[in-house]
Amino acid sequence: MTETPQSIKQPAAATGSWYEFATRHRASIVAAVILVFPLVMPFTALAVNILIYGLYALGFNLVFGYLGLLSFGHAALFGTGAYLCGIAIVHFGWPWYAAIAAGVAGGLLMALLIGVLAIRTRGIYFAMVTMALSQCVYYLFYQAVDLTGGENGLRGINVRTIDLFGLRIDFINPMIRYYVIAAFVIAAFFVMSRILASPFGAVIEAVRENEMRARASGYDVTLTRLLTFVLSGGFCGLAGALQALHLSIVPIEILHYETSGLVVMIALLGGMGTFFGPMVGAAVFLVLENVVSVWTVHWQLIVGAIFIACVLFFPAGIWGTLIARGRR
Amino acid sequence: MTNKVTKAGSISRRRLLTTASAGAALAVSPFRINLLKAEEAAIKIGFPVPLTGPYGAEAQDQVRAGQLAVAQFNDAGGLNGRKAELIVRDDRLNPGEAATRTLELVEKEKVNFVVGSLSAAVQLAINNVTKERGVIFNSISQSDAINEAADFSKHTFHEALNPHMTSGAVGRYAFAKFGKRVAFLTADYAYGHEMVRGFLEVGKEFNVENLGDIRHPLGTTDFSTLLPRLQALKPDILCISNFGRDQQIALKQATDFGIKKSIQIIAPLLSHASRVAAGPQAFEGVVGGCSFYWGIEDKFASTKAFNDAFRKTYDGKLPTDYGALGYGGVRTVLEAVKGAGSVETDKVVAALEALKYDDYKGPQYYRKCDHQSVQSVLVIKSKSKDLRNESDVFEVLSTEEPNEKNLRTCEALGHKS
Repeated sequence: MTETPQSIKQPAAATGSWYEFATRHRASIVAAVILVFPLVMPFTALAVNILIYGLYALGFNLVFGYLGLLSFGHAALFGTGAYLCGIAIVHFGWPWYAAIAAGVAGGLLMALLIGVLAIRTRGIYFAMVTMALSQCVYYLFYQAVDLTGGENGLRGINVRTIDLFGLRIDFINPMIRYYVIAAFVIAAFFVMSRILASPFGAVIEAVRENEMRARASGYDVTLTRLLTFVLSGGFCGLAGALQALHLSIVPIEILHYETSGLVVMIALLGGMGTFFGPMVGAAVFLVLENVVSVWTVHWQLIVGAIFIACVLFFPAGIWGTLIARGRR
Repeated sequence: MTNKVTKAGSISRRRLLTTASAGAALAVSPFRINLLKAEEAAIKIGFPVPLTGPYGAEAQDQVRAGQLAVAQFNDAGGLNGRKAELIVRDDRLNPGEAATRTLELVEKEKVNFVVGSLSAAVQLAINNVTKERGVIFNSISQSDAINEAADFSKHTFHEALNPHMTSGAVGRYAFAKFGKRVAFLTADYAYGHEMVRGFLEVGKEFNVENLGDIRHPLGTTDFSTLLPRLQALKPDILCISNFGRDQQIALKQATDFGIKKSIQIIAPLLSHASRVAAGPQAFEGVVGGCSFYWGIEDKFASTKAFNDAFRKTYDGKLPTDYGALGYGGVRTVLEAVKGAGSVETDKVVAALEALKYDDYKGPQYYRKCDHQSVQSVLVIKSKSKDLRNESDVFEVLSTEEPNEKNLRTCEALGHKS
């Protein structure tokens, strides 16, 4: 990507100064957008969902867009984060921040577990292995009825107030809930920006661009892949934990392979391998789904037509195409 | 936008038109900034149901019936002239989507009450959101868990039957009549498990012999390997606890295998919509339970009144079992509003607890400890001859009258007595 110092595709002179400014301060700009975002949304709960799915897609995009591996099992990472956060609160009575930490740790661990088994495969095999392993995770949580509620889902993740440095905040209030969750998402965007701008971020892209050459240059390709996958799990685990706190339930559907497919769709729609694309994809997808389904029960028809239009006219994703135009 | 404006002000007509149309577009678009406070005038009832997905037909029937209840309330003058309004949302049969939609209904639409849902997991998700925010929720689909102390709150009401009541009624009828040797074919998820648990519980009274329980995953399309195994057990009764398309296919293949010749098939719940979809052959002679059938109009004036109103509003169509639940769920809440003379939550809860109603299927009331609607259960048999109209698909064999004895006890559910 052009953001990284190693990039040689884009001579600096060719880009506009506003573009350079935007790439340098990308995380701050995302933060600004997120702060005013709920004002233009139909309802706040949707805005929160977009943040969470945007974060989920951001984590997924690290593997898909930057590392160049298509994973079809990210629901396992997202769902494990949600379930661990929920179980920590419902069954162990942990405070909310510890529960979020449990969710992130769950995402990291699950990614390590799946990654160790799957990372040596490539292409379609990687997609299939990750999908199969995520189905195993689905049944694991489905069968552990005492902990997860099984078919009925996990209920009772009820966080009414959160204590922040002696301040008692009403977490039921939709706007406050939005900004608390937004704080975590913004922090995650800064971390992601840092990872991508680091030398390690350059290695990730080097592996994507030419594996042989990266190996010849002395980088451990397998370890890079595994580490990237685990990092991605951390972001997805955080997204899952926030989802559990937001909806106060964890449905078993969160681990279904449709949730894995959804994030592929969101990443493609927004623009794979772009920093802000996942958030754009999540916003477009969820807003369309929610707004059109209020107008008509045949909303799938309309949403489907819009997707076809997007694929035809924005082949690099909505954000990806806009960036390409802006760069010209 | 007359000439006067253009002359008097310095704004050109074009700019005025652009601004006005942009303003109008913004006003109708859902993206507008919500600076205006929601009007307090109407009594709002949120209604999340799965309009799309496998239960779409049932859900649309629920909406029709729910709207009828609202229209009747408004025609009767509302609450001192204050009208009610039904706000329908598609939950797509997904608990996460249902929770999001319920948040929208409560936080943005500021609904006074929530009625709806058509799956156990979805109603538990909605319930968790509403009970956190102190909003009354009246559930209109089956679940045992919603009665239990862990999920219950004083804002939770359950208008539908639960699996324990349904399987109990069918079991009491079938075990006394068809024999004691029972085999089970069960969909391997909460609905099937809860039904079998109910059957076995009631079976203890009759000393039934459990020959075996074969589980199949949800969405099975071929039962041909399972049915001979069940046949070999030589039961008197085969109890098939599944729903929707699974039920249609299982019954059709059981008919093809000739199981019905020697074995009586029972199902905890026979859905009107499934029976219509699968046709008379597959369901022929199958005995099962339901909460409502339009044919009991000979027995209850309230059923007759409901059927007639439904026919009149919807071109002679008759309500289905699930549609009737939509009507009952909305109507009891509005009745309680009228009784309380207010939409204040605590007063409406008290009015609902005190309510003795006969709205569409004979007398009912909400039990104090778990707010489960104590009501009759119909035991019905599918018929294939002498059909009076396209909705004439079942024959009512017996009615189990409303009785708290048929519910799990408050102590067993974890409530303090």
